[in-house]
Amino acid sequence: MSEQTHEAEASPSAPEPPRGRSRREWAETLFRFQSFFGLVAVFIAAIVLSPRGDDGQILFLTSDNLFNIVRAVSEIGIIAVGLTFVILIGGIDLSVGSVLGLAAVGSAVLLVNDNFGVLIAALLVLLIGLIFGVLQGAAVALLGVQAFIVTLAGLNIARGLARMWSGGETVQISYGDGDGKAPMLFSLLGERTFGGVVPIPALIFAVVAVAAILFLRYSAYSRHLYAIGGNEKAARLSGVPVNRVKIVAFALSGFCAALAGIVHAGQLNAGSPNDGLAYELDGIAAVVVGGTSLAGGRGSVVGTIAGALLLGILNNILSLNSVDTDMQLLIKGLVIVAAAALQRLRPTA
Amino acid sequence: MRKKTTRSVFAAACAALAVTAAACGTTSENSGTAQPQDPRQNCGGPDGKYTIGMSQANLAEPYRVRMDEDIRKAAGEVPQFEEVQFSDASKDNAKQVSDVEAFLTKQVDLLMISPNEAAPLTDVVRKAYNSGTPVVLLDRKVDGDAFTTYIGADNVAIGRQAGEYFKNTVLPQGGKIVEIRGLSGSTPAAERHQGFEEGIAGSKIEIVGEADGEWERSVGQEKMDALLKSHPDVQAVFSQNDPMAEGAYLAAEAAGRAEQLKFVGIDGLPIEAGGIKAVEQGRLQATNLYPTGGAEAVEAAKQILVDCQPPEKQQTLPSELITKENAGEVYARLNQG
Repeated sequence: MSEQTHEAEASPSAPEPPRGRSRREWAETLFRFQSFFGLVAVFIAAIVLSPRGDDGQILFLTSDNLFNIVRAVSEIGIIAVGLTFVILIGGIDLSVGSVLGLAAVGSAVLLVNDNFGVLIAALLVLLIGLIFGVLQGAAVALLGVQAFIVTLAGLNIARGLARMWSGGETVQISYGDGDGKAPMLFSLLGERTFGGVVPIPALIFAVVAVAAILFLRYSAYSRHLYAIGGNEKAARLSGVPVNRVKIVAFALSGFCAALAGIVHAGQLNAGSPNDGLAYELDGIAAVVVGGTSLAGGRGSVVGTIAGALLLGILNNILSLNSVDTDMQLLIKGLVIVAAAALQRLRPTA
Repeated sequence: MRKKTTRSVFAAACAALAVTAAACGTTSENSGTAQPQDPRQNCGGPDGKYTIGMSQANLAEPYRVRMDEDIRKAAGEVPQFEEVQFSDASKDNAKQVSDVEAFLTKQVDLLMISPNEAAPLTDVVRKAYNSGTPVVLLDRKVDGDAFTTYIGADNVAIGRQAGEYFKNTVLPQGGKIVEIRGLSGSTPAAERHQGFEEGIAGSKIEIVGEADGEWERSVGQEKMDALLKSHPDVQAVFSQNDPMAEGAYLAAEAAGRAEQLKFVGIDGLPIEAGGIKAVEQGRLQATNLYPTGGAEAVEAAKQILVDCQPPEKQQTLPSELITKENAGEVYARLNQG
C-alpha cells in the first residue's frame, strides 16, 4: 500500500508514534486536516465580521442562524458526500444537480398526482437515483467512456426527464388527506425538531455523513476506492474488483443526489424541473475545498463535510454583511482556488 | 464481518433518526395559518430609523434590475430609511429561502420580496410575517395570505389592452398575426395570452402561428425565423415581452420584411435598451407598460413604518399603452426624481 490519507489506517492498536515527529509528518497532518483548519478559520472570521443585533449580540452565533446554515448546506452536503466516492476513484459526476431535480419532481408527482404514500414514493425516487447511478457507472466501467462525458450526458438526460415528468411546470405540494394532497408526514422535511430548533434536513445530512464515514472506515470497499484512485492498473492486477467498485461509487452518488432531491421537495413544498440547476458545481466545490483531489486517491468524506460547511458559513456571513452577489461569487471562487493551491503544496508520497 | 458492522451501524443511525423525529415534538411552521398582525405594531413613527431587506428572484432579467433600482431611488428620498439591503437568488428557490432567513437574522424592520416561485417561498415568508416582520410582496404572490401587502400589475388586463390595440389600431380590418409567448408553464405567459384573446375577441384578427420565445431576445429571433417561413403572409407580431419583440424584428429585418410588419410588445422598461426607446426609434409599433412597482413598494413601506397608515392588502398597478406619440413623455416621467 502506498502512502495514503486514509483515516482507516489509524487502528487503536497502532504503536505509539516515535517522539519528535519529522517536519514532513507535521506537514502531512496539517494537510490532512486542511479543510478542518479552514473551517475553524472561517468560523472565527465570521464571528469577528458578524454584524451585531440591537442588544449587541453576535448575530452570526445565534442558534437560529447556525442551524439555518446547516439547513442551507444540507442538500449540497448530501450531494457532495456521494460525489466524494466518485471523485476518490478519479471520476466525476456532473449529473447530480439534474438527478436532484428529477428526484424533486418525482417526489412531488408521485405524492400529489399519483397519491403514493411517503415511504413508497421515497423508495421509488431513491431507486431511480440508484439506477441512474448504476447505468452511468456501467457506462464508465464497462464501456470505458470517460466519466466526464457519461455524466455530462446524464446531466442532460436527467434534466430532460425532469421536464417531461413534470410537464415543464412546477408541481406544488399541498398537504392533507384525499386526492391531490401529499401526506402530512412529508411536510416534516420542512420542520424543525428538538423544540423547533434543529431542521430535519440538517439531521438527515448528519445521518448521511455519519453513515458514509463509518462505511469508509469499516468496510473493505474504501481500500478499493483509494487503490483505484491511486493507481487503477495496479489495483486491477492486485485483484480489486475495479468495475464493481466503480459502479457502486456512481450508484452511491446517484442515491445521494436523489435523497437530496427528496429533501429539496419536502423543504420547498414543490418540485420544479429547474431544481438543482448547477448544484453539481457547488457539490464539486465542497469536495475540492474539503481537500479531495480530482485526480483521485486522496481525500476523505470528513473533509468534504468540512468543505460544505465552510462554503455554507462563507455564504452566510457574506449575506449577513449584505455583500453583493457578484462579490460573493468572486470570493467563493478565490476560496476554491486557495484550497486547490494548498493541495499542490502538499508533500507527495 | 465488517460489512455486517456497517450495515447495522447504518440501520441504527436510521432508526435513531426516525425515533428522534417522531419523539421530539416538531413545531409546525407549516401550519399554513397567518397569525393576524396588528398593522400598527411595527410603526415607529417619523423619528425612527429603519432597515429594509429586499429579496429579488434574479438579476438576469432587466425588469428586475430596474425594480431594484426603483426601490433604491425611492428609498433614498425617505429620510427615515437608513438602508435597503438587496439579495439576488439567481432563480434558485432554495437560495431565496436562505436569503430571507439571513434578513430575519439581521432583524430587518421590513421585508420586500419578489418571489421566484410561489409555493417554495410560502413557508419562509409566513415565518417572517408571523415573527412580526411586515412583508411587501412584489410582482409575484405566495400562497395564502401571510403578507402585509401585495403590489403587482394585472397580466390579464395588460394582455387585453394589447389585444384591443390590435383590434382598433393595428389591424382594424382584421388580418393574420403571430404570437410569441413567454416561457411555457409560467403564469404571466398564460395570463397575457388569455387577456390578448379577450382583447381581440369579435375582430377578424386571426393568430395563425405561435411560438415559445422563453422571454429571451435570441429565442424570439430564432422562432420568428421559422414563423416567417411557415406564414409568409403574416401582417403583425404580438410578443409577450419587448426583448422577444426586438428579436422578432431582427429576424424580419434579416428576411427583408421588417418594414411591412408591425411589432407590439409588453414591458416598456424606461432604460436605454428597453421597449420605450424601441418604440421611439420605430422598431416597435407600441408596447404596454408593465410597471416594476419599486416606488410603490417603498411608499407602502413608508405607510407601514413611518405613517402608521397600513396600505391595502392588494395593490394593482395600472398599465398604459406606449406609442410614438407618448414615448418621450412616459420615458421622462418614469425617470424623473
